[in-house]
Amino acid sequence: MTELETKIRAEAERLLSEHLVDVVVAFRKEDAPLHPQPAFFTQVDELQDLVYNGLCANNLANYLTRHPQETRIGMVVRGCENRSVNALVVEKQHTRENLVLIGIPCEGILDWRHIVALTGENVLSVEENGESVCVHTRENTFAFSRVELLHPSCQRCLHPNPISADVLLGELKPEGDPELMRLRIEALENLTLEERNAWFRHEAERCIRCYACREACPMCYCTECFVDHTEPRWSESGVTPAGMQAWHIVRAFHQTGRCTSCGACERACPMDIQMTYLTDKLNLDMIDAYQFEVGMDTTTQPPFATLTLDDKNRFITRGK
Amino acid sequence: MAYRLPKKGLDQTLRAWAEQSKVFAPQKREGYAQFLPWKAGVELLLDEPHNTRFPPKAFLLPQSETLLTYNRKLNQLETPTLQISPRIIFGIRPCDAHAVALLDTVFATQENPDPYWRARREQTILIGVGCNQPATTCFCTSVGSSPFDHAGLDAIFTDIGEAYLVETFTERGEALFAGLPQAEANDEGQARSIQQQAEAGLTPAFATDNLKDHLDQIFDSSLWNEFAQSCLGCGICTFLCPTCFCFDIVDEAQRDERVRNWDTCMFRIYSLEASGHNPRPSRAERTRQRLMHKFSYWIEHANQFGCTGCGRCVRYCPVGLDIRAMLRKAAATPSEVVHAN
Ligand code: SF4
Ligand code: SF4
Ligand code: SF4
Ligand code: SF4
Ligand code: SF4
Repeated sequence: MTELETKIRAEAERLLSEHLVDVVVAFRKEDAPLHPQPAFFTQVDELQDLVYNGLCANNLANYLTRHPQETRIGMVVRGCENRSVNALVVEKQHTRENLVLIGIPCEGILDWRHIVALTGENVLSVEENGESVCVHTRENTFAFSRVELLHPSCQRCLHPNPISADVLLGELKPEGDPELMRLRIEALENLTLEERNAWFRHEAERCIRCYACREACPMCYCTECFVDHTEPRWSESGVTPAGMQAWHIVRAFHQTGRCTSCGACERACPMDIQMTYLTDKLNLDMIDAYQFEVGMDTTTQPPFATLTLDDKNRFITRGK
Repeated sequence: MAYRLPKKGLDQTLRAWAEQSKVFAPQKREGYAQFLPWKAGVELLLDEPHNTRFPPKAFLLPQSETLLTYNRKLNQLETPTLQISPRIIFGIRPCDAHAVALLDTVFATQENPDPYWRARREQTILIGVGCNQPATTCFCTSVGSSPFDHAGLDAIFTDIGEAYLVETFTERGEALFAGLPQAEANDEGQARSIQQQAEAGLTPAFATDNLKDHLDQIFDSSLWNEFAQSCLGCGICTFLCPTCFCFDIVDEAQRDERVRNWDTCMFRIYSLEASGHNPRPSRAERTRQRLMHKFSYWIEHANQFGCTGCGRCVRYCPVGLDIRAMLRKAAATPSEVVHAN
């Protein structure tokens, strides 16, 4: 057990035993190698299964909307998860008073796909020692530096520290370099229209419409998704280019000013499809046009969710 | 019959097949293996210890397919005549071929065959490559299959070093290898020992005695809620599964087509009725459906498990729900504790 895990368990134990929360949302040790599971602890004696490591790949804020507002939730949050929670509070999906955020300054999530690509399928365990990572497979042991295994979204992470946690465990990390996200998007924007189109098609055409990207995203909580509507019909149903492209574009657009660039959607995708280039572009637009970054507080509405009658654009028509 | 095919001769064999049929073989696509059309010079992924990521069931049951077209003005229906040319799927793993044999019990029955499935199945030859070194997520031997299972296959290859031992099981499989030299006794001996070793390397992943009865008895257990807590309700474990076959029929009215798409019991709109009622209202009932279908209802339907142990759902579930561990937990759940829901 790592020192950090001991601290998280102690905090979870305190919250449960003092009846400060009804449930602690964290991770538990994996059944399948490389995949610690999101877990819901209600009893102190279950906490021996609690783990925290670089392979905890899900955005736990995703589970906030599964509980009624009255449920008092303790949740382990990294930088992006804290901001997702804030965004959900802004959208009135939970009451901040009923949340206890156990903040962990984040060292970045290890990309399990990348590990498998480098070491082969039969990974037995992964050992993290600060900046180095050791991967044990059935056949071999491999040593890596942590940075080379980070998920791309984590390499570009701006805010690794939880910004409004109730308890902070671990040392604060330096803020990320905003240029990294911008450089990637600018590189795409500098392509010709045909090249950009080819890039987009190449990613979208492998989609199997499993909607894991949607289900893994804390901000995709609609009880009926546009793709599931039949009347009116917003998108084709099958794995046709039109259907898959509509899915990719509209899903991204529904995230405008709401996505925290956590990358959980990409990590869930079974077909290795890149999709954060769409949401990251929209996030940059939000910064450039409105100086807005999502989840930095629990009150500011995302620009596209605000409505003012003196909006300078003409699509607002006053009743006569 | 058993033949010996030196590895050096594989290319020539595939080339000869490709003159008569479309040949598909596992190749690299992005970070994974996928069945792609074989062309001279392509690199094959035959030694990878794992399956293609996307299941080959799609060759027989495409994820989306047009069942018929209609013309509303003329009040006419048209069923497309399926023109499927002969194809050979080379390098399919035994678990995936076993899955095709299972799906035959659904789509190729005497009473009610599915014409779309049948047309494709008749034109599709499955040539397997057995698994000398099953992956850590494989559990075929726990569910009545094995790394050199013959079910569904026309022929199987065993890698014996410099050469493959090729065993054929059907006439059309036999016809593909007719010119090759017959295997010698020591090739066969070597293959048997490799096969036994592969099988011996797999330990039981969960107890299967009475599994069906036990699952039926814990139908109302709170265990399903426990799994459902972390489950995302996505399509990964069922769309990647070689045996899942649920589909939904949709009218794409803008193109006047009736389309059949894969569907999955893990989706929230699966079995949602027009009234708004859903007999499986939460992820708990949906997770239960997946396990029950594979390990109870399949037994009723075909006296076999509806899982061939390929391990895809284990590897790709984004929240690490491992079906083997789920079944171990189910086995450990006492049947007398029935929770009121
Ligand atoms: S769209 Fe993807 S990156 Fe953005 S919040 Fe959702 S899961 Fe995270
Ligand atoms: S997770 Fe990947 S394959 Fe599934 S719907 Fe999203 S982009 Fe498509
Ligand atoms: S892949 Fe995992 S998260 Fe997705 S539906 Fe299956 S069990 Fe649930
Ligand atoms: S249930 Fe999982 S292991 Fe079994 S055949 Fe389907 S994908 Fe493979
Ligand atoms: S009901 Fe579920 S488990 Fe059964 S075939 Fe359909 S999708 Fe697969």
